[in-house]
Amino acid sequence: MAETDLGKTIDRALADLREAFLPRFRAAATEQALRDENAKILGKKGELTAILKQLGQAAPASRKAIGEKVNSLKQEVETGFESCLSDLKRKAREAELSAPAFDLTLPGRMPIPRGHEHPVSIVREDVVAIFRQLGFAVFDGPEIEHEENNFTHLGFPPDHPATDMQDSFWTTSGKLLRTHTSNIQIRALSTIEPPMAFIAPGTVYRRDDDATHSPMFHQIEAFLVDRSVTFAHLKGILAEFAERLYGPGTPVRLRPSYFPFVEPGAEVDIGCVFCKGASGVRVGCNLCKHTGWIEILGCGMIHPVVFENCFKDRGIDPEKWSGFALGMGLERIAMLRYGIPNIKLLFENDPRFLAQF
Amino acid sequence: MKTSYRWLRELVPGLEASPRDLAARLTGAGLEVEAISEYGVAADACLVVRVVSARPHPSKSGLRLVTVDRGGGHTQQIICGAPNVPDPGGLVVLAPLGAHLPAKNVTIAKRAIGGVDSEGMLCSEDELGLGDDHSGILILPEGTTGTTLAKAVPNARDTIFEIGVTPNRPDCLGHVGIAREICALYNLSFAWPSSGNKPALATEATSGLVSISVEDAERCPHYGAAGALDVTIGPSPLWIRYRLQALGVRSISNVVDITNVVMLEYGHPMHAFDLDRVADARIVIRRASDGEKLVTLDGALRTLVTDDLLICDGRGPVALAGVMGGASSEIQGPTKRVLFEVAWFDPRGVRRTARRHGMHTESSHRFERGVDPGDVVRVLERAVALTTKLAGGAATKGQIHVQGARINAQPTPPQRCTVHLRKKRIGGLLGVDVPFAKATDILTRLGCEITLAGAANEEAFVLVPTHRPDLVREIDLIEEIIRVHGMDSVPAEVPAIRASRDVGGREELARVARAAATSIGLSEAVTFGFTSERVLSLLSAPAPAVHLANPLGEHQAVMRTTVLPGLLDAVKNARRHGERDVRQFTVGPVFLQTAPEIAKDVELSREEMHIGFVLAGERPGWLEKPKSLDAWDAKGYAVALLERISGQSARVEPASRAHAPAHLHPRGAAFLSVNGKRVGSFGPLHPDVADALELDGEVLVCEIDLEPFTKGVERKQYVAVPRFPASTRDVAFIVKDSVPAGEIERVVRDAAGPLAEAVRLFDRFVGGVVPEGSSNVAFHVVYRAPDRTLTDAEVDAAHAHVVEEVTDRFGATLRA
Repeated sequence: MAETDLGKTIDRALADLREAFLPRFRAAATEQALRDENAKILGKKGELTAILKQLGQAAPASRKAIGEKVNSLKQEVETGFESCLSDLKRKAREAELSAPAFDLTLPGRMPIPRGHEHPVSIVREDVVAIFRQLGFAVFDGPEIEHEENNFTHLGFPPDHPATDMQDSFWTTSGKLLRTHTSNIQIRALSTIEPPMAFIAPGTVYRRDDDATHSPMFHQIEAFLVDRSVTFAHLKGILAEFAERLYGPGTPVRLRPSYFPFVEPGAEVDIGCVFCKGASGVRVGCNLCKHTGWIEILGCGMIHPVVFENCFKDRGIDPEKWSGFALGMGLERIAMLRYGIPNIKLLFENDPRFLAQF
Repeated sequence: MKTSYRWLRELVPGLEASPRDLAARLTGAGLEVEAISEYGVAADACLVVRVVSARPHPSKSGLRLVTVDRGGGHTQQIICGAPNVPDPGGLVVLAPLGAHLPAKNVTIAKRAIGGVDSEGMLCSEDELGLGDDHSGILILPEGTTGTTLAKAVPNARDTIFEIGVTPNRPDCLGHVGIAREICALYNLSFAWPSSGNKPALATEATSGLVSISVEDAERCPHYGAAGALDVTIGPSPLWIRYRLQALGVRSISNVVDITNVVMLEYGHPMHAFDLDRVADARIVIRRASDGEKLVTLDGALRTLVTDDLLICDGRGPVALAGVMGGASSEIQGPTKRVLFEVAWFDPRGVRRTARRHGMHTESSHRFERGVDPGDVVRVLERAVALTTKLAGGAATKGQIHVQGARINAQPTPPQRCTVHLRKKRIGGLLGVDVPFAKATDILTRLGCEITLAGAANEEAFVLVPTHRPDLVREIDLIEEIIRVHGMDSVPAEVPAIRASRDVGGREELARVARAAATSIGLSEAVTFGFTSERVLSLLSAPAPAVHLANPLGEHQAVMRTTVLPGLLDAVKNARRHGERDVRQFTVGPVFLQTAPEIAKDVELSREEMHIGFVLAGERPGWLEKPKSLDAWDAKGYAVALLERISGQSARVEPASRAHAPAHLHPRGAAFLSVNGKRVGSFGPLHPDVADALELDGEVLVCEIDLEPFTKGVERKQYVAVPRFPASTRDVAFIVKDSVPAGEIERVVRDAAGPLAEAVRLFDRFVGGVVPEGSSNVAFHVVYRAPDRTLTDAEVDAAHAHVVEEVTDRFGATLRA
């Protein structure tokens, strides 16, 4: 074939291809079709490659010019391919985006369903956290206790109505299930030197089983012993505690009361959290028996007899130390917080109950 | 204690506070008014009327038409069905039209019966809310027609406080004590109540009528007696009747009512004997002999022990001292001669006796807490004066007081306690400055006598009154001062706290365990510490170390040695409610035998924290066919839980049949260990155990000892993140079912050598191309070197070794 014929043939082929490649690309409906089309042109056995292969037959002088033409077309094809590809991808994306919405009314899929902490534990951890922030540490003790730690050293007179034998569970070896977490005061004071600031959360037992009592329940005791701790300090801690557990501005009221191991002793009411209006005025409700106040704990200054019993023979002068103690029932706080009407619900462990917390 | 506002007003004429204000003040001073109720509300609306005439109803038999005069000549006709309509002139109570009777919740309206109008109702006590007598209408002995019942019979209308008297305040178990407290609170002067009559004196001396001997002066340090002769037993006047009934005490007869009125007044229980029925006119106070019997007033036959104190006559026991009388000498209709007993019994002894016999009476309640030892004379005088006033007759001359060996007409006054009070201790303890003069004034108002002392009169010796047995040391006085001064006066001051360090660590351990368990989808159950021996033995737990002496029932008689019983109760309860799915855990102590080397607490049990869980029902999933939870779920939860709690890797060791815990299914039991130490077990509950516990289906259980983890979760060390790519190869074998998958996995791991970073079983199936008795198991093996990209040749070589080892060792065939 004549040299010029070859040049013309190549030129024509290039011109044809230039005309055709874009429409061919645009006709491709899928990415795969587009890539196939691209391969038909640029692949090893592609049309442009075939053209390039003819180059060897061309006169050396014209090879460079032809080569440049081929390369220029190759770039045009590549650009065209990229642009069609990106068009296709965008169309696919748009199609995906505009497809019908997911049916999110179907149930969510969870790796594992959530477990639920018991309401008493939730309250317990909240109260422990508050006292930890105030500077108290946790002191653990046993649930089966010596009578001395549970009663005697706390100043319960023997055969006194305050020690209600029917109220305690006794073991056959003469020990008892602790009736309160106040045993920890005795354990702490008789093993550690003051100052000390402890809380004692724990399980306690009383021999009561009726509509409003469970034979097992939970308490948290807090006590602070240092030089010149005063009743004013007790009120300060109570006010902080009430504000942190029940919200800012929660009023606290102390009513004198009697517990053998504290003196002066008091019961503590907080402003009713259920009938507090927007203005802060409490209108009274059934939960606070229309008084505007709800009793939440008992407290007082640690009785000197407790110090005397615990410091005996240890060279610690009971007159040089003072302290306060306070104790609360966690079930009551949980029941008030969640509006649980019956203490029994807390111990039935009904899955439908637990799942609510 | 039920307390009458009206009575308090009589005792403290200067008291002006309304019931509500008084209640608030008492509550603020430690006498908590727990409830306020109204007695005899209807008495405000009902009128005293005089019967003018009565005739039978024209058509209804049993009914009468009663014409009454309601004052000023106004008459009305009432239809009445009561059997006791008095003759004309008799006074009865009319509920006029519009009156409301809360006791019956009715409002009186005009109505016609058999064509005759009735303009009101003639009322019984019961209808008026004054008592439970509904045998007939109330007939008044006197009164002015037209006045309200409340005006005509004073105590028919009252406001009653329910006061929660704390055990340290026996003085407030009587109206006089509360009145004295009110005088202190309001700074009013206190006066003893008076009957307003001087009793007529009989010629006989009390000491001539009866001989009294006390054989146990420790249990009865003071026994006082006084008498009245020629009394006439009869009903009490209405003002006594309603005073008692308002306070929840039934009116019985004048003399018996007097003992109750005086007890409610002074807080000092007393007893009245019919002297003619006291055998040999002899009263002996002695301890019971073992096995001695007494029928108490409640009809119960009591078998006594030597610790019980008795009041006896010439024949034998007549009363359980301080607790309850017997029937033999009680006051009856024909009684003419009355002997009153007012004593002081040892509180601890009374309490022991009351507890022992399961009795709790108005009397024991007061003696246990300590009645006033200084008021015996006054209480006897009051009772006798009231008796001669209401039952006629005359007082015998003089009283008898037995105090140990002394028998006298006048008692030796009881010892009073003197307490040293220092001003600096008041402020130092309360954190508020109460002026010393104010402090001593409060104590004076409470009945103390003050002698100032110290250089600047900043100390005092305080002589405490006999009615306050609770005031024995300085702190007791400081409490009185702030109680009366008001706790509101103390400022709130947040102290600077010198911090302590945790002791024990169970709380933190439980918190970590709870967080771990809830994070894997378990919900927390709070379970009881007690259970039964039967359940413990069914659960192959250690025999109980702690038995309760007074359990609520056999099902709660021992302390648990496993935490599973409460969880299985939860499953049982849930299934009873139709809830099949239970995934719960519990954290708490088990109570085990003490290790012998622990000295001080040797008698206490060893409490160890455990966590346990139960799985029952279906595996949680979404839009899949639900499947029952199985042993592998238990394994998954157990391992995840243990690893989260310990921070270390957990090992599962299937238990052989011979060693499987007896409460677990012999095919599915396994032990859990960490660091080579066995810490727990899990598996399906043995079906026999599930049946015995009536669990109605399969349950998976796990229990882990938490004690090894008290030091907290093990801290991790950082391991370099791989920088070079891994090569993953999958390999599948067909092996006999008898070969445990874990064994194959171990061989794969060993054979793959140090280049194998991870081996994971990812598929297991039977059937299809797999021959019967064999299964297909497939593993991912991830190869990686920390310092280079592995070549195919290296990986191929290691993997070929895997295939070779597994086929060799287990006779497995490689699946292509």
